[in-house]
Amino acid sequence: MKMAVFWGCRILTSQYAYEMSVRQVFPKLGVELVDLREATCCGDPVKSINIFAADYLAARALALANLTGSTDLLIPCNRCHFTISEAKHRMEINEKLHLKIGELLTEEGLEYDPNIKIWHIIDLLHDAVGLEKIKETVKKPFRGLKLASHTGCQVIRYSDLGRVDDAENPRKLDELINMLGAETVDYSEKLDCCGAALTYSHQDAALSLAGSKIKALQGLNVDALVVCCPACQMMFDSEQKDAGTAVGAKLDLPVLYYTQLLGLALDIEAEKLGLHLNQSLVDKLLTKIPA
Amino acid sequence: MAEPNEASRRKILVKLGRDEFLDCFQCLKCTSGCTALKLLELKPHEIMKLVRLGFVNELAASEIIWTCATCLKCVQRCPQKGSPYHVIMALRNLAVEREAKVPEAYLKAVSQILENGLSQTIQKITTRKMETFDRTSLKLPKISAPKESFQAVFFKALEEKQE
Repeated sequence: MKMAVFWGCRILTSQYAYEMSVRQVFPKLGVELVDLREATCCGDPVKSINIFAADYLAARALALANLTGSTDLLIPCNRCHFTISEAKHRMEINEKLHLKIGELLTEEGLEYDPNIKIWHIIDLLHDAVGLEKIKETVKKPFRGLKLASHTGCQVIRYSDLGRVDDAENPRKLDELINMLGAETVDYSEKLDCCGAALTYSHQDAALSLAGSKIKALQGLNVDALVVCCPACQMMFDSEQKDAGTAVGAKLDLPVLYYTQLLGLALDIEAEKLGLHLNQSLVDKLLTKIPA
Repeated sequence: MAEPNEASRRKILVKLGRDEFLDCFQCLKCTSGCTALKLLELKPHEIMKLVRLGFVNELAASEIIWTCATCLKCVQRCPQKGSPYHVIMALRNLAVEREAKVPEAYLKAVSQILENGLSQTIQKITTRKMETFDRTSLKLPKISAPKESFQAVFFKALEEKQE
């Protein structure tokens, strides 16, 4: 299966561990990744300024994917996934918008072909690669680990758009974790937002949201929190110390990407998965995994 | 004093691509599940009501429209498909057109996209063991910047007013 990849900004500029682990695990599961050339922002932060300009950026990403010759596009960031999926939908129902954006793309010698399927790591792994295949490929299953999942907001809402999992009870990330031999917990804060979007305007509130969720999870004695979005990882991992200050708690919960966890189960070296880049104390988790 | 304004109200409808606002019966499902309610006092059902009544100028000038966490729960849960999130985004766009006070980080993101295509600058990461890494030392491929023609086209897109 050949898959074009749109990384977005955050993965390419700071959340390197996600990129490293995605690049490591997918080829081992029969998915060949093809980078887009000259990719730009998906339009997410631009929506607040000018929705049309944001839609143009999203369409540009799709047009670049068309250039790779693949009709499948993997978007590992939840926010890019939503922005591009919604822009695609808007162009499908609004012919005038479609034409206007098409004209702009022509100026750059690009063309948007709507015949492209958008994927996230969740549905690509769960629905296309398949749980059984993942289970078979695992070399070092985890025993006795208790993990919490955080699927994030924008990849599950809103359902009319066609999202990767149920909006109110997402289960796929849990099932993917279970395939690696670890147990998952249900917790009442599961759907709580990481707060990343608020870093643009209300940094303290953003950190409080992230901190409250981690604080609640620490109370449940989970071994780690597993995420699948660079914005969520930024809040729960990169900003964990400040999030702790914001909620007045000492936070030391390991947080990692699902692709990092999967990579460990596939017996890929921790450093190749970027685990040295996580800011949270992932060592605490790594010592519980037999070498 | 606050005053309903029909022209501004229509502007929001145009941005939403609708002829009329959908019937909101103030069930409060949006507000009761709003991520920004507790910390920032965002009450989406109030925004819906105020926009419907035409108090758009007041909202476009207000800081409250910049408190949305974009979790999309309101879009998902509205029984009338009224979608406060989209109304808030339309209000933000109107605020920008009117040169109201916009959080600096959004403007910075846009200027960075104009500059090199990405909304963020490339960072070096200092690890838990105080080692520093960048894309090169992590053996990640070089990022290919867009050609100059991109800048002109994106600038043109930004000039577009949805009216």
